[in-house]
Amino acid sequence: MNGQAARPEGGRAGGRGHVTFENVSRFYGEVLGVNRITLSIPPGITSLVGPNGSGKTTLMNLMTGLVRPTRGEIRVLDIAPSDSERLFRLVGYATQFDSFPRGLTGRQFIVSFLRLFGYSLSECERRASEAIEQVRLGDAADRKVAAYSKGMRQRIKLAQAIAHGPRVLVLDEPLNGLDPLVRSETIDLFRRFAADGCHVIVSSHVLHEVDLISDQVILLSNGYVVAEGHIQGVRDEIQEQPMQVLIRCSQPGAVAARAFEQDHVLKPDCTPMAADYWLRRAIPTVFTEC
Amino acid sequence: MAVYKRSYKGYAGPLTPGWSRFLILTRFSYARLFQSKFLLMFFASSFFYPMACAAFIYVSHNLSFLTAFNIPASEYLDINGRFFYYFCNVQGATAYLLTAFVGPSLISPDLVNGALPLFFCRPFSRLEYVAGKLTVLVCLLSVITWVPGLILFAIQSSLAGWSWTGGHLWMAGSILAGLLVWCVVLSLIALALSAWVKWRVSAGALVLAVYFAGAGFGSAINAVMRTSNGSLIDLVQVVHTVWSNLFRYDAGLEMSPASAWIVLGSACLICLWLLARRIRAFEVVK
Repeated sequence: MNGQAARPEGGRAGGRGHVTFENVSRFYGEVLGVNRITLSIPPGITSLVGPNGSGKTTLMNLMTGLVRPTRGEIRVLDIAPSDSERLFRLVGYATQFDSFPRGLTGRQFIVSFLRLFGYSLSECERRASEAIEQVRLGDAADRKVAAYSKGMRQRIKLAQAIAHGPRVLVLDEPLNGLDPLVRSETIDLFRRFAADGCHVIVSSHVLHEVDLISDQVILLSNGYVVAEGHIQGVRDEIQEQPMQVLIRCSQPGAVAARAFEQDHVLKPDCTPMAADYWLRRAIPTVFTEC
Repeated sequence: MAVYKRSYKGYAGPLTPGWSRFLILTRFSYARLFQSKFLLMFFASSFFYPMACAAFIYVSHNLSFLTAFNIPASEYLDINGRFFYYFCNVQGATAYLLTAFVGPSLISPDLVNGALPLFFCRPFSRLEYVAGKLTVLVCLLSVITWVPGLILFAIQSSLAGWSWTGGHLWMAGSILAGLLVWCVVLSLIALALSAWVKWRVSAGALVLAVYFAGAGFGSAINAVMRTSNGSLIDLVQVVHTVWSNLFRYDAGLEMSPASAWIVLGSACLICLWLLARRIRAFEVVK
């Protein structure tokens, strides 16, 4: 151990304290990850919402420096994601991958990865115990991770992300596989972090799962941000976006004819094999009247 | 928008030096590796030959004992470049077997378990990751190669006196350089294969295949093309050329030492390139 000391705060003293994306794009060869993202994420709970493949994980990997942007600039509390030494003292990341190094117990898993931060062994053990208590996994901490249930694995992932006391918590689908009680406890934990002035950035593909807990929602689709802001504003935004509705019925022709009379229906498509009937509509509330 | 009071306080205590953090990986790897009894036994058995060599050096300085039995030993028991060349051959081959056993278990489990993002979500770079894993093998192989080699040299020096030591000091440099280079080459080959072949057994088999297939293909190319350039892909012959050059011993090899050094350097660069391509936080499937 030598005299090298950790920085208590990230970024410059006058840093804006936001996570910012400026015209950020990321392509995987010819495949679009995200495109022209410009965002400023303030402290509090922010949810990235979108269907599979909409770019949520890419956005999280970009802000944690695990993937570099093809274009644009990202700053996390005024730190460039490429500066991993400073960034990861302030950022905790739990990926969506449900895989762990073999043979480790929950506690060993957290302690071993905490050692990479440069803490002493006693400090690592203290922090690991604290994190395990925070995610209510004390009883199972000394069991092998391989024997954990899905919900326990989610919680140990969360514990490794919070163990070093990050200021920005990036969690990829953290509520997946949690039972209602643990889900509620986990949401409380997010709220406590947010109450301390931290950023909690969570992803989900279910809007109603996160709308109760989020201060801000960022809606992604096909690699683009289609709406961002307070949950109510985003909901209003969704109402104005064209969407597809699948109707399975025995008389698709009749339904199509009836629907086509409505001004807000843009394009009905029939798929005869499955007897499914597709309507692309503009205003969903009006659709219910037809 | 909710209003939050900013009460966050980060860690401000002491940290271990950044340069030494890759050794954490090395330490954890050793703890896991030495749980294997087979590895422990193999590791212990790899000291038999150095111990036999130490006995040989001792006997060579106590010829009166042999002459009492009318054994004309002085013409055979000479500690010279040839002695250390053969020491390198035996310990080098043992190091190869140890590499084939240990190497594949270093990176492939992290890839299989998707653990790389966990490492790179810390203040820990790809370079540190590779350095940590490389140190595991280089240190382990060093303990059975150049370290006993230098101990043998020290024993010989202490028994032969300062005049011998002064005249043969270059041998100590040759032992260190020749075997350390071999340890690094083996470690890089094993890591590169471990990074690209996820299944441990296959990766181990491939490490051995580099040893045997290189020799086989090299000989075939030499026979068919009536050339000696085929030996350039025979890693064993390449390193033997380096050692024979370093120990000033003519082992009857046709390859030039410069070519051998270039081949070893190229092998290291290829392995580093393979590692740089593979060791990433996320696998990009195109």
